[in-house]
Amino acid sequence: MKYWKYLICAVLLIVAVSLPKFIGVYPLQMANIILIYMALALSWDMLLRTGQLSFGIAGFFGLGGYATMLTSTYFGFNPLLSLMAAAITAGLVAALVGYSVLRLRALYFAIVTLALGEIFRVIAQNLEITGGTEGMLLKQTMFKGDAASTYWVMLAIGVLTIIISIIFQKTRIHYASTSIRNDEIVAASSGVNIFKYLVIIFAVTSAIQGLVGGAYVQLYGFVEPTATTFSINFVLMPITMALLGGLYTTWGPVIGAVLLSVIAESLKLRIPYGHLLVYGIIMVVGILWFPGGIMGFIKKMFKISNQ
Amino acid sequence: MTILKTTGVTKQFGGLVALSDVNVEVNENEIVGIIGPNGSGKSTFTNVVAGVYLPTSGKIEFCGQDITQKTTHEKCHAGISRTFQLMRPLIGLNMIQNIMVGAMFGKGHSLKEARKRSAELCKFLDLENVERPISAMTALEIKKMEIARALATEPKLLFLDEVMAGLNKDETMEMINTVRKIHSRGMTIVIIEHVMRVIRELTQRVVVLEWGKVLCEGTYEKVSCDQRVITAYLGEEAEC
Repeated sequence: MKYWKYLICAVLLIVAVSLPKFIGVYPLQMANIILIYMALALSWDMLLRTGQLSFGIAGFFGLGGYATMLTSTYFGFNPLLSLMAAAITAGLVAALVGYSVLRLRALYFAIVTLALGEIFRVIAQNLEITGGTEGMLLKQTMFKGDAASTYWVMLAIGVLTIIISIIFQKTRIHYASTSIRNDEIVAASSGVNIFKYLVIIFAVTSAIQGLVGGAYVQLYGFVEPTATTFSINFVLMPITMALLGGLYTTWGPVIGAVLLSVIAESLKLRIPYGHLLVYGIIMVVGILWFPGGIMGFIKKMFKISNQ
Repeated sequence: MTILKTTGVTKQFGGLVALSDVNVEVNENEIVGIIGPNGSGKSTFTNVVAGVYLPTSGKIEFCGQDITQKTTHEKCHAGISRTFQLMRPLIGLNMIQNIMVGAMFGKGHSLKEARKRSAELCKFLDLENVERPISAMTALEIKKMEIARALATEPKLLFLDEVMAGLNKDETMEMINTVRKIHSRGMTIVIIEHVMRVIRELTQRVVVLEWGKVLCEGTYEKVSCDQRVITAYLGEEAEC
């Protein structure tokens, strides 16, 4: 059973890496979108495993995007360096802000993270160096927009996120997260330094979101504060994907992101304007009938077949 | 040797005085019982000493160290561990993983070492089938698992907050033996209990609380014949 898992992962990875050989530019663009949402959904889930519900995905995504744009424009960072700047900026800001915000819990934490995103947006919208409401254009996107190379960068980010998620699930971080989520008093009484773990996990997941935001800017070559870079889509879509795929797992958000992105895109072509309706119905049905998400359903099936 | 000493510990919740000027000492390798009517401050005392609440005033010394202002996990690291009056298993983890949380974060063991030590603790407490989820465990097993989780932090002082509650006669007997076994390994234990038989069988010294104050203190025989304790808690029918 164990070797099967590794084999499947290896095959999937080889297929994913060699994808540009077999498919055209449009499907590759599609794959980039999937990878963006996947990394966002997964990083959101990684924080949720500690019981903290964040609506700040778009905030850190946008922050990373602007970090990439500014470092490339004003300091002439090369694309990969600017992506690193995005991750570090988002991670550092999250650690600093988290120092006070992570004393809040539940709805209060959720609302404050939403407000954080708004604060970043308002700042970006009003500063001259960030281009105000008009935003900015990148002089040159990474690899001059070469489809295969940009896809590989996105794939690397996706795989990195999955690896971090697996590390979180296999090490003591898993035990810290679960105990904090289940019962903070028991966790603290068992010696868990709750605040320390929350700050670390919040910083890491925000860094991933910043990195993805940076990559988004390198892909499309612009930042624009109101409708794009801080769009509420980057909050709602990843959360829906993680819910549909199955929370507290690595593969749930991955499956959810692939499924919902593909469905959304194909519906958009078939029934323009009507696709959101169908999309909503899928969400409602999925959440009503598969409360554990797709991963929960698969695990249940395995259990039944084992008995 | 005294390992726990509280001096004038007071805890107020708004206008309610839950503990007032409590002075308690616990000596090494002793089993001390804390009894008292509902609302007398037994659990609050545990919570103040083990760190869930900070005392309003007073001083808590543990192993000669002032731990009054320490947070919950710092007190755990200092060597105080506890179980809870109501069962509080971590439902996202299975039996041995629950215990591993204590070993990893209380004592800083690696994952592998924590698993090894937790398996030993399961054996010591007769817990079998250690990979079971919480939903497949009996109440007695959950209680034992919570004791194991507390022991996994390798404490110097263990608080047992009403571990017998909800157990039947046979299970209570088994739990008494379990506590004896833990004590025989050199553990100092503070046990909060309503079942007087348990107090009689296990403790060397009893502290009686009423309205957040220490009413009296002494051996079981002395305390159970004290007229004030009979009036406040035991009732006239109690036998000496």
